[in-house]
Amino acid sequence: MTSRGAAGEAGVTRRPTDASSLRSRLSVAAVATLLGILTIGQLRGQAGVPGLSALSATELTQLIANLTTGNDQLRTEIGELQRQEADISSTKQRGETTVDNLTADLERIRAWAGITAVTGQGIVISVQGPIGGDGVEDLLNELRNAGAEAIAVAGVRVVGGVVVAGTPGGLSVENQALGDAFEIRAIGSPQILTGTLTRTGGVIAQVGAAYPATRLTVAPIESMTLPATERTGPPTYARPSL
Amino acid sequence: MTAVRAWLRGLSSVQVTFAGALLVLGFLVAAQIAAEGPRVRYSTEERAPLIDTALTLQTQQESLKAAILALRQRIGELEALDPDAAASLRRLYADLEAARLKAGLTAVSGPGVAFRFEDGANGSVDALVTARDVRILIEELWLAGAEAIAVNGERLVGSSAVIDIGGSLLVNSAYLAPPYEIKAVGPPDLYGRLQGSVAFAQFVHGRIEPAGLRLSVAELQQADLPAFAGTVGLRFGKPGQPQ
Repeated sequence: MTSRGAAGEAGVTRRPTDASSLRSRLSVAAVATLLGILTIGQLRGQAGVPGLSALSATELTQLIANLTTGNDQLRTEIGELQRQEADISSTKQRGETTVDNLTADLERIRAWAGITAVTGQGIVISVQGPIGGDGVEDLLNELRNAGAEAIAVAGVRVVGGVVVAGTPGGLSVENQALGDAFEIRAIGSPQILTGTLTRTGGVIAQVGAAYPATRLTVAPIESMTLPATERTGPPTYARPSL
Repeated sequence: MTAVRAWLRGLSSVQVTFAGALLVLGFLVAAQIAAEGPRVRYSTEERAPLIDTALTLQTQQESLKAAILALRQRIGELEALDPDAAASLRRLYADLEAARLKAGLTAVSGPGVAFRFEDGANGSVDALVTARDVRILIEELWLAGAEAIAVNGERLVGSSAVIDIGGSLLVNSAYLAPPYEIKAVGPPDLYGRLQGSVAFAQFVHGRIEPAGLRLSVAELQQADLPAFAGTVGLRFGKPGQPQ
């Protein structure tokens, strides 16, 4: 009896009463809830906008300026596309063919993509002296950043996939040797392109410092024609996604 | 020892679970505080509204790009070929589709590669992936025969610039933070061709390895790249030769 009684007492101390069991469960539930909230917070914090919090005020201001300009251009594009959509809709409603719309759209895309020649104002960068492909690519990247609409290097239209590569003295573009004197022509706002390239510490200064034996000059041009790309074939491996 | 064992045996499963949960909770609270530390340190009164503005503009940009893609899709459907159309119209439509494909205005799929490019772990300025690093990889991919490339979902076209902004990038005016995923569609041996490039080898041995940057690659049977969602138009140029 005694031993049973002792076992019984032990059982009472080990097994919680209904009230204490409920308290324990509620405590575990509360901790688990807090745990879940913290885990989600942690994951969201990491998946949020990484990098923004690390930017300085100056960099954030630069980012805002870029985003604002980019968004303005996107709004202009939306307006153009809405006009195009309305034109096509009304043409179809009148039972007419969309040949004019298609032709205009085709011309616009072809010129933008470098499939046809483009004429307009812009700038010419004269390069005289040995320069590496990295230097020329830095210039091209800055021209694109400044809003160049079409670019040609030594008469070769630069489209997606065209790279100026090689070491100083061995530079080439599309299997064409460039030599130590050639021109880069870009269509766009002459003021913006010139200002962006030649600003203090800008790309002309940087490339000039990297290639001190090379002379880079920038001049505006009122009208010039950049040729079409010679890359005329369709892509071999990239298929339109359905 | 015996006393400890007896004490351990005396613990109920609820108590063990509770202790475990508290332990994890402690770790999470510590991690949260550690993660918040630098942000609090860098936060100033002028930066908070700037971050908010940048976030708002980014959100706007995403919806503007989505609107552009939707409009292009609708225009494509409106222009879609009438079965009774004349042969000239059919040709025109085919030319338009081909031009859109070449211009990067169509989402594409095909064999390719996906690179993940990350900052080095040592925390030095040299261990940050820069715009030039990404541009070199892009250039090498083009030279190896890539037909389409995207960086963190931003499709590259002839007008795409890749520039630094702090330790992050702007591509097609979109703000991209590391790690960077660079996807390319091209010949099935695209990565093999890249490995055969002397300039790529120099880039790996001369920049990536010494700086501790992390570059990993996966060869894909099918890589899916989105369409370019930016502006397509000329303000200063006109198609064709001068009249």
